[in-house]
Amino acid sequence: MPTARAVEPVPELLELWATSRAYLPGKGPVPGLRDAAFAAFREVGFPTTRAEAWKYTNVVPWVNRPLRLPPRDVPGTDRITAWFAGGVKARRLIFVNGHLLPELAHVGGLPGGVTVRGLGRLLQEEPDRVADALAELDEPRGLTALNTAFASAGAWIELQDGAALDEPLQLLFLTTATADSVLCNLRNVVRLGRAARLHLIETHVALGDAKPLSNVVSQVRLGEGAELRQDRVEIGAAPAALIERSRTVIAAGGRLCRTVATLGYGLSRHEQGVRIVGAGAEALLNGVFTPTGKEHVDTQIRVEHAAPSCHSNQFYKGVVDGRSHAVFAGKILVERAAQKTDAYQSNNNLLLSDEAEIDSKPELEIYADDVKCSHGATIGELDPAALFYLRSRGLPAALARSLLIFGWAEEVLERMADEATRLQARRAFLARLPGGAVLGEP
Amino acid sequence: MATALDTVREYTGHEYKYGWVTDIESEVAPKGLDEATIRMISAKKDEPAWLTDWRLEAYRRWLTMEEPRWQKVTYPPIDYQAISYYAAPKQKERPKSLDEIDPEIRKTYDKLGIPIREQEVLAGVAVDYVFDSVSVATTFKNKLKELGVVFCSISEAVQEHPELVRRYLGSVVPQGDNFFAALNSAVFTDGSFVYVPKGVRCPMELSTYFRINAAETGQFERTLIIADSGSYVSYLEGCTAPQRDENQLHAAVVELIALDDAEIKYSTVQNWYPGDAEGRGGIYNFVTKRGACRGRNSKISWTQVETGSAITWKYPSCILQGDNSVGEFYSVAVTNNHQQADTGTKMIHIGKNTRSRIVAKGISAGRSDSTYRGLVRVLKSAEGARNHTQCDSMLIGDRCGAHTVPYIEVRNPTAKCEHEATTSKISDDQLFYCRSRGISEEDAVALVVNGFCREVMDELPMEFAVEARKLLAISLEGSVG
Repeated sequence: MPTARAVEPVPELLELWATSRAYLPGKGPVPGLRDAAFAAFREVGFPTTRAEAWKYTNVVPWVNRPLRLPPRDVPGTDRITAWFAGGVKARRLIFVNGHLLPELAHVGGLPGGVTVRGLGRLLQEEPDRVADALAELDEPRGLTALNTAFASAGAWIELQDGAALDEPLQLLFLTTATADSVLCNLRNVVRLGRAARLHLIETHVALGDAKPLSNVVSQVRLGEGAELRQDRVEIGAAPAALIERSRTVIAAGGRLCRTVATLGYGLSRHEQGVRIVGAGAEALLNGVFTPTGKEHVDTQIRVEHAAPSCHSNQFYKGVVDGRSHAVFAGKILVERAAQKTDAYQSNNNLLLSDEAEIDSKPELEIYADDVKCSHGATIGELDPAALFYLRSRGLPAALARSLLIFGWAEEVLERMADEATRLQARRAFLARLPGGAVLGEP
Repeated sequence: MATALDTVREYTGHEYKYGWVTDIESEVAPKGLDEATIRMISAKKDEPAWLTDWRLEAYRRWLTMEEPRWQKVTYPPIDYQAISYYAAPKQKERPKSLDEIDPEIRKTYDKLGIPIREQEVLAGVAVDYVFDSVSVATTFKNKLKELGVVFCSISEAVQEHPELVRRYLGSVVPQGDNFFAALNSAVFTDGSFVYVPKGVRCPMELSTYFRINAAETGQFERTLIIADSGSYVSYLEGCTAPQRDENQLHAAVVELIALDDAEIKYSTVQNWYPGDAEGRGGIYNFVTKRGACRGRNSKISWTQVETGSAITWKYPSCILQGDNSVGEFYSVAVTNNHQQADTGTKMIHIGKNTRSRIVAKGISAGRSDSTYRGLVRVLKSAEGARNHTQCDSMLIGDRCGAHTVPYIEVRNPTAKCEHEATTSKISDDQLFYCRSRGISEEDAVALVVNGFCREVMDELPMEFAVEARKLLAISLEGSVG
């Protein structure tokens, strides 16, 4: 039963389960898996701020409310194409309000050994395989269990040994104005075989003033020597909430390079677990979060080194303005076996307003002695000398500030591999800065 | 440097040096804790009714509290009814002069290398000796009295300065602050009390030496230090305990109060019995230490060298209320064998232009775990607050762990907070360099470790720095090779 660290779901959520469980996709073992997941969810409940991982984020008002499953909605194409990224040859899956729109998907003619499917169909066609995959992420977390219970859409991406997709693959997740109080449970599975290569773009966009909750769970597995580049932007209107839990396992020689830009959403919580299980692997995690207004951004990272001679780097920057609240909790865990680990973490934040708050918790847990691990965290305001310099060159105060802030964030944005995504992120970032529009297209 | 090298040599193969038991008649209360025990302790000390009630309130709160479990240490559940909450060396009256102290107790302190009499004459340090639960002697009292400095056991202070005790006791660490502080508030038996009046610079170091002797007892001392406006005091604390196979609980509370322009420097060399190489026995050191910089321009500085205890759970903190007040925390925590240490600090910035500096060095060897856990919180009112935190961990051997868990919470944009942490080992290059100069491996390690801790050691008063350096070498012996 839920303790002080968790709360019981509202009755409407229980009703939602009761009325919809028979209609959720999946045959064979899937319904049993869903029932078990919902029972697990009932057991754990929603986390409260008494739980250490949720200390600074009160998620309860966002998640524990009467929610409904999303109706299908096909917005005008121009509202969708505006968010295309990855160049003209990019492959794409588009999800609107938690539904895959197969008619807009562009995943034909894939090279050999590459599979890109919607999870919904796969649940019907290959339920055993999907059930096995979903069961892999067996954690006592309420929101993950809730996702497993309801998951009906998402991307299933599989690359066989040696396969490569040269053009980027974009996953575009949109919620529209009709998505008020809807619960989108998205589940993504990404598997790269030995020496496979993929460039994945994730674009999360919330339109209108609806108040949807996107509860996303992603499971990523990189085989030996596999390489995954991942660019991710979150551009959302203030009432929307996006909560993602991702778990990535990297085998020997694998390489993950992920860059995340959080530019909106009333609540954005991104919890990344990365576990390195083979020697010589690398994980680079970059990110920038820029909450303003009353937004709340929570980044939780846990990098586990379980194998020797690996490298990881977390590079996160924050620009915290308005009445917003930003949370960064990054952890490096080095297990006994992981000798010769090089693991770094930095979290630098600009705190720009009296009303804003930043909480940073950079954590190390080290059990091996021949390692180099360090972290640094800073919190401060803009350098008055730099501001003065710009003003003395004739820049108005607001513009000078915006330019400095932009430069601060750009250090992360420029790490995005896809140009279109980088531009989208820049544009969204500049639009949030006073006088930012004047800086124009960089 | 010679001292460090010598000491390593000197103590190689030695076990815990202070592990003997003094055979002295003591008065030990029956095991167990209930309201009657508390009334008994209170009655024994002839306390006023308000203090008895205060203790009872703490006890009632304690009953409703849960033992904390968030710290990164493991130990079997403590049976709080299997502990005796009062143990005192039998003595008819408090000795009027040092000559009247039980010779056995004096011998104990002689063995510890701190002869009560000699210390007074030679070192010029005023010392309060706490043996098990009660203070047995305080030196230099008269000299301090001339300046108006009150330095006595807290039991005496309750009798002689009730107004001060009543005003400040529990004002920094309230009864219900945490599980162990509540327990301490209910059953504390003795400890030191210091009051430095306005504008007085205390001319000598004040020191308390804590010794647990009796078996199956817990030690619960309470220290209260008040530095009135413009005053200065430097206070030292040392501790040892006999070697026993069972674990003993030490749950102390220390409260510091610095008023306008006052400064308190609090240094600890903690060397409770750490348990043997297999992790049997040792002290559970669950201590709440907190200082309040109440006045403008006040300063509190904590320096600690933690080498003992099976488990250390301790976060000396500063509440920076007064504008321009300063908090400092310098720490070296050394763990070896099966020791576990979860220690750090809290700096709460409330006043304008408050500054804090944290330097924490953790050294883990053997199968031990050492954790730095700290909080820097800048409240909205703390305009221009400044913090710098540095946490360095060193691992010796591949069976130990070193962890860093800092929390930084900032609500004021003019604040500047910096945190940096590193984890490393003694590099092969460093060792090779020393070895090529003819320095033995063990000496080389001592050299590097002393260099690693230097920043903190430099903050210790001289008399303590020597002892601390020795302790460091002893704690790490046998950890290399």
